[in-house]
Amino acid sequence: MREMHSVLHAFAIKKFASIDDAVALMGLDEAQVRALAAEAVAGGRLNEVDGRYMVTPTAQITLQGIYAKVYAQLRSDAGFREDYEAFERINDDLKQLMTDWQTLTIAGETVANDHSDPDYDERIISRLGSLHDRAERLLDRLARHEPRIGHYSRQLLTALEKAEDGDIRWVSDATISSYHTVWFELHEDLLRVTGLARRE
Amino acid sequence: MVGAALTGRWLVGLDAVSGSALPDRRLVGGKAWSIAHMQSLGLPTPPAFAVTTEACLEYQRNGTMPDGLESELQAGMRWLERRSGRRFGHDENPLLVAVRSGAAISMPGMMDTLLNLGISQANLPALAAESGDAAFARDTYRRFLQLYAEVVLGTDCPDLKRDEGLGAWRARIERHARQAIPGDPMLQLHAAVRAVFDSWNSRRARRYRKHHGISEDLGTAVTVQLMVFGNLDDQSGTGVLFSRNPLDGAPAPYGEYLRRAQGEDVVSGKRTPESLDDLHAQSPRLHAQLLAAAGRLEESNREVQDVEFTVERGTLYLLQSRTAKRAPAAAVRIAVDMQREGAIDIGEAISKVTPAQVRSLLSPRLTARAASATPVATGNGVSPGVGTGVVVNSADEAERRAKQGEDVILATATTCPDDVHGMIAARAVVTEFGGSTSHAAVVGRSLGLPCVVGCGAGAVTSLGGETVTVDGGAGRIYPGILEIDCPDEREDECLRQLLNWVGERSPLRVLRPDEAPDEDILDLDALDAAADPDRLAGLLQGVEAASGRAIASDEGIAAALAANLRFIVAEPTLPPLLAAVQMSDG
Repeated sequence: MREMHSVLHAFAIKKFASIDDAVALMGLDEAQVRALAAEAVAGGRLNEVDGRYMVTPTAQITLQGIYAKVYAQLRSDAGFREDYEAFERINDDLKQLMTDWQTLTIAGETVANDHSDPDYDERIISRLGSLHDRAERLLDRLARHEPRIGHYSRQLLTALEKAEDGDIRWVSDATISSYHTVWFELHEDLLRVTGLARRE
Repeated sequence: MVGAALTGRWLVGLDAVSGSALPDRRLVGGKAWSIAHMQSLGLPTPPAFAVTTEACLEYQRNGTMPDGLESELQAGMRWLERRSGRRFGHDENPLLVAVRSGAAISMPGMMDTLLNLGISQANLPALAAESGDAAFARDTYRRFLQLYAEVVLGTDCPDLKRDEGLGAWRARIERHARQAIPGDPMLQLHAAVRAVFDSWNSRRARRYRKHHGISEDLGTAVTVQLMVFGNLDDQSGTGVLFSRNPLDGAPAPYGEYLRRAQGEDVVSGKRTPESLDDLHAQSPRLHAQLLAAAGRLEESNREVQDVEFTVERGTLYLLQSRTAKRAPAAAVRIAVDMQREGAIDIGEAISKVTPAQVRSLLSPRLTARAASATPVATGNGVSPGVGTGVVVNSADEAERRAKQGEDVILATATTCPDDVHGMIAARAVVTEFGGSTSHAAVVGRSLGLPCVVGCGAGAVTSLGGETVTVDGGAGRIYPGILEIDCPDEREDECLRQLLNWVGERSPLRVLRPDEAPDEDILDLDALDAAADPDRLAGLLQGVEAASGRAIASDEGIAAALAANLRFIVAEPTLPPLLAAVQMSDG
């Protein structure tokens, strides 16, 4: 994608993001993002409120057209589709893992994980590490088609390592770039690349 | 069946007898140590041995398997054969083992468990005949190959379809991994042991040790344990036992049992387990043996135990025992009961209950009368709590109207990342599609928001503009604003006991609003900055007393203790008192 499209894409994935958020999300150059965002606001493609940006409805439609053009070849690439399906399988495991992280089934009843048992949390974070190893190999392959994916992979690793070091908010806290937050954004990005609809 | 002891330069056979000394945890790792610990309490476990951490360190020094380890592994398997009456790598009566990593300190990046090693195409018919279940034998083989691919070969396992041929599974993995899976189970065992040793040096394990200052000289052990099967005949089964009821804390064992089943059958939910009474019906002797075992484990660990067990042809084996997870009500009752029984002292009892558990017990809920109303929509309640507001159908509208001070309920078909800002602004979130693992559910729980998912097409987006009450635990959406009720901490006998204990020990006084003196109290609810925990310390400087939601949170209590406040005002008082006592003790 051209730089301008990458910037619009970043704000489409993460709505109400700041310039810093977009830079962190896509691994772009800050000065360039700032300049392009200003240009996009002037051109009616982004709205800005208090330093936070969102893509205008017309620019959303434009973006869909750009995805279709930029990723036309990729969308018909059987190898890429197979890798994407593998991602969906890991995604199912990730969602189960996140649910196990947040809730416990005790004698058939679901209760919130209040994180009072470090052993339990440690086991889940360890599972997350194994899942990450699988995901990383896959994301490396996907990144050969779209280098942006490699940046998600690094952000996932950062979140994982913070969780491994004991700051458990980095597993699923929705207000920071936790493992789940980044994964969720990666999933959205891949859906835009493939042109597929979210299943749930 | 106690034969000769197993000892070697690199191996330790686990066959502690009652009262005997336990092996060195640093040498055999945490998992083997737990097995030995159970054995030393006189409890039955599947036979096992450990490859020691010294073997791992020798491997790290030379990069090759330590001299003599391979022949010791051979001897170890012979030892397991003698104890089980089975044969490793044979077509008849095959011996299968689980291989686990086990450092003295658990850390990320270590090899995951490899199950069913020893199974092969050649002995599938024997396993099928033994269990009377050919599909089970095939599935066991498939799971073994998948795990072998992932944990030993370190590759993604391609999706192995159930209806493919056995050879096709193996061929696809080998193609994918670009290496062969040895046909000889003994060579597979060598590869699994090497994979455990290599995992000691995985990127994540190395980083973790560095970050936590853990010595590189510890190494990891490998536990090799006989697999037992609960699905062989009508005198077999599998289950879990809690030494006390994990839901309400009642001091009676509670458990589930499934005859003719392997653990996966219970976990996958394919079959609904029976109560422990079914084990009693099968064998009163085993039932009594199990209950006695749970009691010994609880007594020894001074914690409620969650015991996994399998019965194979009428013999009981304990697979694992650990501290049981419990619902908040159970945590409170068990702590109080165990102190009264003399099993633990008051300090330990206080440490077994978290402020979050008490907050959850005392959180507002619908009154019984309100909850009997007819819901306008129902779904899967995935994040508990009650939220009331006007239904809006987009995250942007939720954010906008919430900013204007309205209580809103966000109702969408599904949620995507750009809805998160709207979820944060809402009092509750409801969706039409998705289950308990959906993104909406994960985000809702992470935000502590009542959340109901999977209400069905059109069920909630059609409610736009209406005022509703969402019960995120029960999964119900009611019309209008319903009556809610806050439980009183003084009305519950166990909470009252806890309240007495922490009241006497707390370094911080916590007063109810109606007890607060008429003097200068800083009201944090009136300060926007109080929402940021990092700014609490600054706000409390020079202050004598404070009130408001922020002061009753764990961060608030930490700040109040640091600022040496004379008292705080909060209701309920138990969560802040408990937090204050635990912080000053820990």
